[in-house]
Amino acid sequence: MHKALYFSDEAIIHGIVNDDEEALAYLYRLHFPMILNFILTNSGTEDEAKDIYQESIIVFYEKIKAGSLELNCQIKTYIYSVSRRLWLKKLAEKSKYSSASINDSDAYLNLLSDAAVIDENDQKFSTMAQALNQLGEPCRTLLEDYYFQDLSMQLITEKFGYTNADNTKNQKYKCLMRLKKLFFSLYKMQE
Amino acid sequence: MTERETFVLIERYLAGELNRAEEIDFDQHRQNDPVFAERYRDYQELFGAMHVYKNRTALKQKLQTIHTTEFETVPETTEAVEPVTSSWKIFWNQHFATMAVAASVAVITVFGSLLSLDAWRSVKKQQNARYSELRREVDQIKRSQRALIQDISGKPSIPNAKLALRPASFIGTGFVLSSSGYFVTSYHVIKDADSVYIENNKGLRYKVKEVYKDKLHDLAILKIADSSFTSFGHLPYAFKSSTADLGEKVYTLGFPREDMVYGEGSLSSRTGFEGDSTAYQISIPVNPGNSGGPLIDSQGNLIGIISGKQREQEGAAFAIKSAYLKTLIQGMGQDTLKEPINLSRRNNLAGLARTQQIKKLQDYVFMVKIYN
Repeated sequence: MHKALYFSDEAIIHGIVNDDEEALAYLYRLHFPMILNFILTNSGTEDEAKDIYQESIIVFYEKIKAGSLELNCQIKTYIYSVSRRLWLKKLAEKSKYSSASINDSDAYLNLLSDAAVIDENDQKFSTMAQALNQLGEPCRTLLEDYYFQDLSMQLITEKFGYTNADNTKNQKYKCLMRLKKLFFSLYKMQE
Repeated sequence: MTERETFVLIERYLAGELNRAEEIDFDQHRQNDPVFAERYRDYQELFGAMHVYKNRTALKQKLQTIHTTEFETVPETTEAVEPVTSSWKIFWNQHFATMAVAASVAVITVFGSLLSLDAWRSVKKQQNARYSELRREVDQIKRSQRALIQDISGKPSIPNAKLALRPASFIGTGFVLSSSGYFVTSYHVIKDADSVYIENNKGLRYKVKEVYKDKLHDLAILKIADSSFTSFGHLPYAFKSSTADLGEKVYTLGFPREDMVYGEGSLSSRTGFEGDSTAYQISIPVNPGNSGGPLIDSQGNLIGIISGKQREQEGAAFAIKSAYLKTLIQGMGQDTLKEPINLSRRNNLAGLARTQQIKKLQDYVFMVKIYN
């Protein structure tokens, strides 16, 4: 397994589009120190820096995957801007500081145009996570195995000890309907 | 068609499991049946969210793995990260040594001075710690509030309230010096008294006033200040002027209880506590309340006044020598005394058995009651 020593911004984006783990790891390595530094100077901890950084990488990654990224600056600046926005939000939740007292270490963009998309995905994600949590076992594992892990019906049948695949299917649809109900009720509540 | 059946159909459609005719049917259904179309949209949305969730969890997992391999298991890479030190940290790093020194100086000073003060005090206190004076503290009996309450019939709740005497705070012992009503006890017995009464086995009770106090040698000369008092008559014991001999059998009478208690022993040293030449050491078991009691030798001579005992030491009690008492009284001038104290020199107790001696003696030994 060789490690590429250097990726250009374009190469990183290209790598992410093509699911290149190397590119992602490189990107991650590249900008973490910057964000760590930023969060630490603005009264955060190392763990918080890690969470914020990962969230902004996710935002970046999802936008590339969705093909909705119009990048007219360096990736570095973009990542920094996203992190900055997320951190401001976090601080506001903590209500410790007003946004005025942030010490910036880099140039940043105002990301108001992107905010809507990011938030929609965030909402979907958190609602789904909540719904799955409330779904309980064995439904949750069953659905995750089938839809997320892409296990075959046969495997799931053996794993859960159902008599045959048809049974499993029935069970799966039962669970799916329950998930749907939960998901939409939660979704409506948030709106 | 139930919602669930619809979902099954939708999944099969999306998976491409339907045949041609069914697919066309499905498409038409979607265009014409609003309920069906609604369900299709729901399905899309649900699966959109599921997709987001799936991808995100996978990505998070990935990033976490990257993070642990890059930034946690390999510390060399973190050297590139220079966490910014806050101004407080810089200040701390610069002044740490100074602060540490200052703190230790403070700690050492505080504890050093505390300890040395303590040591110095303990030297002073040692005497008190080892020498215990023997007056008896009487438990204050809480008098009930009833004394203040009138019951319905209007009678005072305690009959003869005047006769109900307040108990004394301290009790010691004392004995008669001269027939004219002079009396001696230990200074510490009466040191903080408001009023002093003396009481003997016969039930005689007199009020006394202080005439002379010798704090250093723990003696107090009192005089009976009671109009009913006339004279003690002839005293049966004499005061010895010379120092008694070692091994002399001695005894005392005192009031460590409400009743008179006899205690006997020997004269074990001709000096008292820490070599005090005005006192004897004696081996009589004495207790709080014995202070001020007479120390009598086998001939019935009065040779001392009980004053205290040494703690943590068995059978070491002390008594002031009668010789010192005599010089004290001789030294007291006309200014302190209205009438001279004539110490008796005739001893009527010599040769009598101990019990007979005590019978003659006991009326002259009083319980000293202190009220304050």
